[in-house]
Amino acid sequence: MSVAKVLPTISVEGLTGCAGELLVILENLDHLLPYVRIKSFPFAQSRNEDGPVDITFVEGSVSQNHDLEKLTKIRANSRWLVAVGNCATTGCLQKASCQQCSAKSMMQAVYGNDSTMSVLPAQPLEHYVKVDVSLPGCPINATQFLAVTASLLREQLPYITSKPVCLECKMKENPCVLIEKNAPCLGPITAAGCGALCPSVGAACYGCWGVCDEPQIEAMKIILTEKGYDVDEVYSRLKAFGAPEHLFERMNKKAN
Amino acid sequence: MSVSSEKNVQKSFTLPKSDFDQFFTLLAQMGTVYAAVKVSEQSFAFRAVTSAKQIAFDAIRTILPPKKFFYPPSETLITYDKDGIYENEPELEFKVIFGVHPCDLAGLGIMDKIFSSGHADSHYMRQREASFVIGHSCMPDKHCFCQSMGSDCAKSGYDIFLTDIDSDYFIEALTPAGDQFIALAQPILAGATDKDHERNHHFWETRSAAFTNGFNSSNLKVTMEGEWDNKLWDELGERCLSCGSCTPVCPTCYCFDLVDIASLNNDSGSRKREWDSCQFTGFAKVNGDFNFRPTPVDRLKFWYRHKLHGFDDAYADKTCVGCGRCTVSCPSGIDDIVAVVKALQVSSAAKTSEGADA
Ligand code: SF4
Ligand code: SF4
Ligand code: SF4
Ligand code: SF4
Repeated sequence: MSVAKVLPTISVEGLTGCAGELLVILENLDHLLPYVRIKSFPFAQSRNEDGPVDITFVEGSVSQNHDLEKLTKIRANSRWLVAVGNCATTGCLQKASCQQCSAKSMMQAVYGNDSTMSVLPAQPLEHYVKVDVSLPGCPINATQFLAVTASLLREQLPYITSKPVCLECKMKENPCVLIEKNAPCLGPITAAGCGALCPSVGAACYGCWGVCDEPQIEAMKIILTEKGYDVDEVYSRLKAFGAPEHLFERMNKKAN
Repeated sequence: MSVSSEKNVQKSFTLPKSDFDQFFTLLAQMGTVYAAVKVSEQSFAFRAVTSAKQIAFDAIRTILPPKKFFYPPSETLITYDKDGIYENEPELEFKVIFGVHPCDLAGLGIMDKIFSSGHADSHYMRQREASFVIGHSCMPDKHCFCQSMGSDCAKSGYDIFLTDIDSDYFIEALTPAGDQFIALAQPILAGATDKDHERNHHFWETRSAAFTNGFNSSNLKVTMEGEWDNKLWDELGERCLSCGSCTPVCPTCYCFDLVDIASLNNDSGSRKREWDSCQFTGFAKVNGDFNFRPTPVDRLKFWYRHKLHGFDDAYADKTCVGCGRCTVSCPSGIDDIVAVVKALQVSSAAKTSEGADA
């Protein structure tokens, strides 16, 4: 009988996305390697295996038919499926664009009429399959990624907070750019996790982490309007980073 | 009332401002000196300084209060592995905290009481003991209302206190550590004369008369309870972002979250505590997705209540010291405590007179 320790396995797969999360994972692989075996990571290695795996991290949205085929197979093979990054968790930019015009006309505009590519309106993973853990970010935060992995290796679902960026901003004792510079900072309604990156260098948070837990969009609208900002511009930014449509419905109803 | 209306000849001294550099050198011999420095157009923060020139003596309030030194925004409490659980005791850096105003000294007094009562918080106490606090006089700006909260004159929380009396500082020691430092600084200090006492007294009289912001605080609890359903709260609630900026900046907000961070190989880990805020929607959420304070209005009222008249906890008293930080840190402009209290008082008084008329 072999006494060699059987390491848990992980796979890292990309659908339609920019590979930003894949890079974060690659950069942090040395932390993981002593404790897991990489079964498949096509972005980083050439010899990859199919079959059952403990944890699969999936980046990108489902925007093409082969994304969907791949995702269905991944789900069937994975004990834990983790959506990493805003494209996988909310659909992000691709989904926001698909809401403005049809996926088909976009495809024609970019690839011409003769393209053999088959596209789908972009959707987050959970539109099609059960997602065990959603880890937002654009790209994800390495510490959160490692924490999620550590939890899953202990067979526990991780706790991911979605308190607003303002908390991290205040913990760093940054001057508030929304107050001092009247900059259109979306920190109050954006999920923390980045360490208040933009306000820490004096720039407004543009909401890239997706919205926080129960964002007070109505109040944000009041404050930005008072400062002279065009709220449509703000909505399109929020939508670009995956704010769900129902938030705006709720708000428009209130305004009427 | 002044910090030192009673004359205590042995404990009062003066230092010519022109000798402050020498005074600073002595402070720096004790440990790292932290003082208010300018960090932006409008803001100041307590930062480590190596020379008196870096200090912003005229700073009214810093973004974060000095609680951050003893109760840091994020700290590891324990670590654990297969063999046991270990209290985390990082190396202590002795801190000399210069320029703490009366409101913040009162705030530290409240935090001291909370963190030391019952099962004392050893992490806070360790840091607190490794510090030397130098109080400093101030002149109120339009947001200061410490006078209304009874925290405009420092009674404790400092080792020595400096009052700015024009060309000199009037210096008083309060603790044995303060006395020791004074003994060390003796060569550059002069014993305070009657005239110096008079100048000190004059400063505090002038300062007492300088407040433009405030309210009558004798009936806060009755007003808050009677006006719990005032529609003003709904108006404030509509503007509240639930961003939580009002609580980290408050000298007496102490709520935290505990997070366990396990290592990847699952044989060790650590437990961190991080500042939390009662203004976050998840703060009072419990199992089954039930939320005790589901709306911004609920959360805002809860916070105002804690600040203005307290809970039935270790510190069953008001916890606002009138520093004005929440007012200037709220992006929505709804933490103007003075304006809110006054509006509630007007409404409450109107009800009383209606009752009397009937
Ligand atoms: S700068 Fe932005 S994130 Fe920071 S406290 Fe102000 S609003 Fe919040
Ligand atoms: S609130 Fe009072 S003690 Fe604090 S800075 Fe203002 S005047 Fe000074
Ligand atoms: S409630 Fe506001 S004014 Fe009162 S102590 Fe806290 S931050 Fe200062
Ligand atoms: S009261 Fe102001 S600072 Fe506090 S949570 Fe609401 S908007 Fe943020």
